[in-house]
Parts: sequence; C-alpha cells; structure tokens
Amino acid sequence: MPGQVKVMIDRIIEQRSKGNAVLASTTQTKLILKGFDPARYDASTPDDPLVLAQLRQIAADLNVTL
Amino acid sequence: MGISVSKLTDVSDDAGARLAAELGGPAVVIYFASPKHDPQDLALSVARAFPAAVTFGCTSSGELVSGSMSKGAIVAMGLGADVVSRTEIAVVDGITGSDDGIGRVFAEWEAKLGQKMLDLDPERWLGIVLIDGLSGAEERVMERLGDLTNVIFIGGSAGDDVAFKKTVVAAGSKVASDAAVIALLECPSGFDIIKTQSFHATRQFLVPTKVDRAAREVIEFNGKPAAVAYAEALGVGVDKLADEFMAHPLGLMIGGEPFVRSPQQLVGESVRFFCGVDEGMKLAILNSTSIVEDTGDALKKALDRNQEARGLLNFNCILRTLELEAKGLTEQYGNVFKVIPTAGFSTYGEEYIGHINQTATMVLFR
Repeated sequence: MPGQVKVMIDRIIEQRSKGNAVLASTTQTKLILKGFDPARYDASTPDDPLVLAQLRQIAADLNVTL
Repeated sequence: MGISVSKLTDVSDDAGARLAAELGGPAVVIYFASPKHDPQDLALSVARAFPAAVTFGCTSSGELVSGSMSKGAIVAMGLGADVVSRTEIAVVDGITGSDDGIGRVFAEWEAKLGQKMLDLDPERWLGIVLIDGLSGAEERVMERLGDLTNVIFIGGSAGDDVAFKKTVVAAGSKVASDAAVIALLECPSGFDIIKTQSFHATRQFLVPTKVDRAAREVIEFNGKPAAVAYAEALGVGVDKLADEFMAHPLGLMIGGEPFVRSPQQLVGESVRFFCGVDEGMKLAILNSTSIVEDTGDALKKALDRNQEARGLLNFNCILRTLELEAKGLTEQYGNVFKVIPTAGFSTYGEEYIGHINQTATMVLFR
C-alpha cells in the first residue's frame, strides 16, 4: 500500500507537537534537516523499504512510537 | 539586576575581577574571548570572580558588544536572577566520538528537574550551545539535542582569531576541545529568537547527487561534477567559482527562509562546505544582500514585538564579519546594536535547530 511514508511523517509531527503549531513547525524543520521534507511525500508515494526503515529510526531517535 | 555587558581589551591576570566590577552580581555570566587570553586562566579567573554564578564561554574570532565590533577582546554578558531563574550546565566531551554524552547529561538534568526534557515548555526554557568550532561535529550535536527535547538550542561554534588551529569551550573552571558546552536556562520573562541571513533565494537549484557526508563534501550536483554544475549555474568558469562563494552560497529553504550552506573550498571537482549537505537536498542558489540593513531590520522587528527586551546575545558568522571588514562596514554593523545591551562573537558556524553558516543567530532576553 503506497503512502506509508507520508503517514509516518505525519505521526512523527503530530506526536512531537501535540497540536502546538510552533512545535509542529520546529519538528518539520528537524525532519527537513534530516533529509525528509514532508512536502515531498503524499498518499501516492511508494513504500520504499529503505525509506521506511530510515523513518522508523528517526521516530525512535525522536522518542515517537509509530 | 537585569542584563549587563562588559568588554576588556587588554590581557591581564585579573580579567574576572574586572568583569565582576562591571557586571555586578549576575546569576549567569556568558563570555567570549580571543584566544590571546589564555582560555584556562580566563575560565579560572571568571569562575573565581563570580562564585555564586554559572559561568561559561568560548574562544572567538572577533567580538561584539553594544555598539562596536572588536578583535582580541573579552566580552561578557551578565544575566540577573530576574532574567534567568534556573540554570543547568554541562561540558559534553568527546563530541567527535560515538559516546552519547548529551543523552547522559539530559538524564542527569531530568533527575534534578523532576521533569522530562521532552516536557519542558520551550517558551520558558532556552538552550545555549557552544561547540568546538574545528570539531566538524556540530550537525551531530544539534541533531541529538533536537531529538531529545523541544527546547530550542541556539549558539555558535567557537573561533580562534581565524587561525583554525584550536578552539575551546569553557564552563566554570573547566575548558575543553572536542567538546560542547550546553546550558539550559529557565527564563521566566521569556525570550525571542532572531535568525537573520543576508541573502535572497534565486529560482535556481542544485541537488547533491553524490556526497561525502563525513568530509562535508559534495562530489556531484545534478549528476555532474559539483564544481562544474555550481559554476554553470552561476555562469562563471570553474576557475572563477571560488571567488563567488561568499556572495552565492546555497540555501536549504525551510518556510521560505534559507538555512545557509556555505562552500569553503574546491577539492578537485568536489566542493567542501562549512556544514553538512546531504544527498537529495534541494538547495537554492542565493544572492547576497546588505548585512547591515537586513540585520537592522530584523532587530527592529524583534524589538517592536518585544518592547520589554533587556539584552541580546549575538552569534555572528565569521564569514559575515570578514565581509563587513572587507567592505569597511564593521562600525555600521556595531551601531545596529547600540539600542540594546549586546554581547556576541564571530563564530565558525551558527546553531539554531541545526548547524548553519553565514547567519546571525540571536537571543533577545525579556
């Protein structure tokens, strides 16, 4: 099923920001600096296993449970 | 007590006592000093002179105090207990290694605070980070700090008067290289952060397609040798490319603002940067604008929205300082900060969420 990358990125932002818009923006910046620009992924993005593994690691580093 | 600043221009054994005479009784003392002042002697002198305060600082490549830029000086800022009500401080050693010193320090702080670092209010708590400017480890330090907390860490990479031999950070009487000083400040009246860089983004982009991340080198942009692609984009020959670096660095655009990646030098047909550049990052070519005007505008806007502001810490990129010197604009730049007590230094890199270049990152304390 495509779109898992976008779902994981959205969950990371949601869990770290807890609805705070400033924290959501800061978390997006952190993701972009890590190489994951949320704007580049959408529901049709293929589920590349390598990308998903990288995101799982980032989520773990950020103390986010996916 | 509020905020006070001081500058010493001559080398002396009693620098700490002389600073204490001017700064009064602050809760926190932050200082930046040319390496011509022995860092160990200075750290001891400052720690002894302020026994009730948290003291920390680093070596510089030029200093800034309200109204003037200087070279070879010591500048210091004292923050009163009304500005900073609680401080935690640590030296993280071995930042070029794999040890998780930041994780360990944060665990200690959490035990003391009785609160998770992730749960601290980022509008009340501020992080300051000073990093060995020759370590090449800033990206890793900033990434780890950002992973473990929502508190914003801002700061700079220590300098050494443009010798590029040894940079030092200090906390209390301890000095270290291959290290970072991290400080956590509780600011009951709050603070604001300014990030300003004097560039506008063009519609031209370079995308690294092959990099040596550890060396901060781009081997290929857009599938071509990096120097060739960069020169083509600027419309110059590869032999003239390095002359364009200062005026046309690259920017990772985030929210319409560039996070500047400054090229340092050509290495064959590769381009080495002053900060990390990853494969796939879409980087805009930037055109330089006026540092004095842009910084003045950024400060004015910040002061307009923080009319109770009491002092400013400025981490100003050495490349900006060199440009100001080349254009004879250091006096004008210093004048920008006459309106508020300011202390800062010329850095080997600026820290704000990540590691950036050709930028001034500043904290405005309320």
